[in-house]
Amino acid sequence: MTYGKPLPKIYADAREFREGCLEHELRIQKCGGCGHLRWPPAFLCPRCLSRDTQWVRASGRGTVYSYAVYHVAFDEAFKGDLPYVVALVALEEGPHLLTNLVECDPGAVSCDMAVEVVWDDVTESVSLPRFRPAAG
Amino acid sequence: MLEAGLCSYVMISYGQSGRSGDSMMQVLAALSGDDVVYGHFGAAGGYALAARRAMHEFRTGPKTWKQIAVGQRKWANLNPRAMMCGRAMTGEDYDRSPLVVEPFRLADNCLVTDGGRACIVTTLERARDLRHPPVVLMGLGMHHPSADLAGARYLAGPTGARRAGATALRMAGITLDDVDACEIYDCFTYTVEITLQDYGFFGPGEGEDWFRGGTIEPGGRMPVNTSGGQLSESYQMGLTPLTEGVMQLMGRCGERQLGPATGNRTPEIILCSDNGGILQSHACYILGRG
Repeated sequence: MTYGKPLPKIYADAREFREGCLEHELRIQKCGGCGHLRWPPAFLCPRCLSRDTQWVRASGRGTVYSYAVYHVAFDEAFKGDLPYVVALVALEEGPHLLTNLVECDPGAVSCDMAVEVVWDDVTESVSLPRFRPAAG
Repeated sequence: MLEAGLCSYVMISYGQSGRSGDSMMQVLAALSGDDVVYGHFGAAGGYALAARRAMHEFRTGPKTWKQIAVGQRKWANLNPRAMMCGRAMTGEDYDRSPLVVEPFRLADNCLVTDGGRACIVTTLERARDLRHPPVVLMGLGMHHPSADLAGARYLAGPTGARRAGATALRMAGITLDDVDACEIYDCFTYTVEITLQDYGFFGPGEGEDWFRGGTIEPGGRMPVNTSGGQLSESYQMGLTPLTEGVMQLMGRCGERQLGPATGNRTPEIILCSDNGGILQSHACYILGRG
C-alpha cells in the first residue's frame, strides 16, 4: 500500500538527520565552535555563527514541552488518525523537536511528561521519529 | 524618509482573496514546512501549542478566551463591514463551538476573508491640511525573540510583546494608564491574552479576572479590537489593528465609534500590536490624536 501522507522535502542541511532516521538514530547538530546543540539543522550556528558543524546522536528521551490535539484534518490523508497529537518535545540534550505523540490516549497527555522516541518506517526511504510515553 | 523629504506619501496596504481563493492556504502551507509530515498545518496548530503551554504555566484556558471571543463579537455587531456582523455570540455559543486544534475551538480562530486595507502616511504638516484629522505615531517597539517554533521557549510568555511594548511606551513617553483603547493582532484568542499580559495590563494568570465583566466590550474600561478584530471583522494581517486604530482616532467609526455613544472615553491614545510566525516576531505601536 502506498503512503498517502506528505513526505519530508530533501534538503542538504537535514540530510544527516534523515539518514540517521533510517538507522533509527536521532541525530542533532552540535556547533564545533561553541558546542551549542541545535535543531532545526542549519549551516551555521545561531549562537556564535560558526560554520563548523558536527552531528551527534541524541538519546531519544525527552519531555513534552507542549502538545495540540487535532480534531480537524487539514489534509484528507490524516482523517483516519483523528484525533491525533502533535507535540513539541524537549529533548534531554536541549533542542525542541516537533513530532507526534503516539501509543497514548490524547486525554492522557500532559506538559512535561516523559517521552521516548519510537520509529515509524513510513516508506523504504523515510523513517519518522515519533514519541510515546516513556517506559517505567 | 518622509521627514528627510525623500518621499511625500507612503501607502501601507494589504489585500487578499483568502476566502474565495487559496492564497491564505499557500501562506499557511509555507509556514508549516516539513512539519506537515506530522499532520501539523498552518497557524492554528502552532498557536494551540502555545496556548496549551500557557495553560500549564499559569491560570488560563477557555474561560479566559471565551470572554475575548464574545467581547470582540459585540464590537463586530456595531460594524456593518464585519463578516460576523449580525451573528451574536453568547458564552454558550462559544462552549458549543467545535474543537479545531485543541485547546482551541472554532471561535478561538480568526477569520479567513477577502478584502483589502490601506493606510497613507505623510508628514504631520501635510496631514493637517487634509480632510480628516491627523493621527500621529507616538511610539514604536519591535522584538523578534526566535527564528522558528522549535526555538521558542517562551510560548507562555514573555513573548516579544514584553520588550516591544516597553520600548513603544518609552518612546511615546506614556504609561499603560494613558491608553484609551487597544487594537491587538488577534489571530487567535490566546494571542490577545498573552499580548495584553506581556504589555503589563495584568499579571500571568490574571487575565480571566481582568476580562470579566465586559472589560474589552463596548462601554468597558479598556476597549479592545473595536472593529471586531480578526476574530470577528476581517483578517487583514497587521492592517486590521492599524486601520481601526487610525479610524477610531479620526472619529470615522460610525456606530462603534468610541465615545459617549459606546459608553467609552473619546480616544486620544490607542495602543496597537502586530505579530508574526508562531509568536516569533512582535511590533507594538502607539497612535495619538494629532
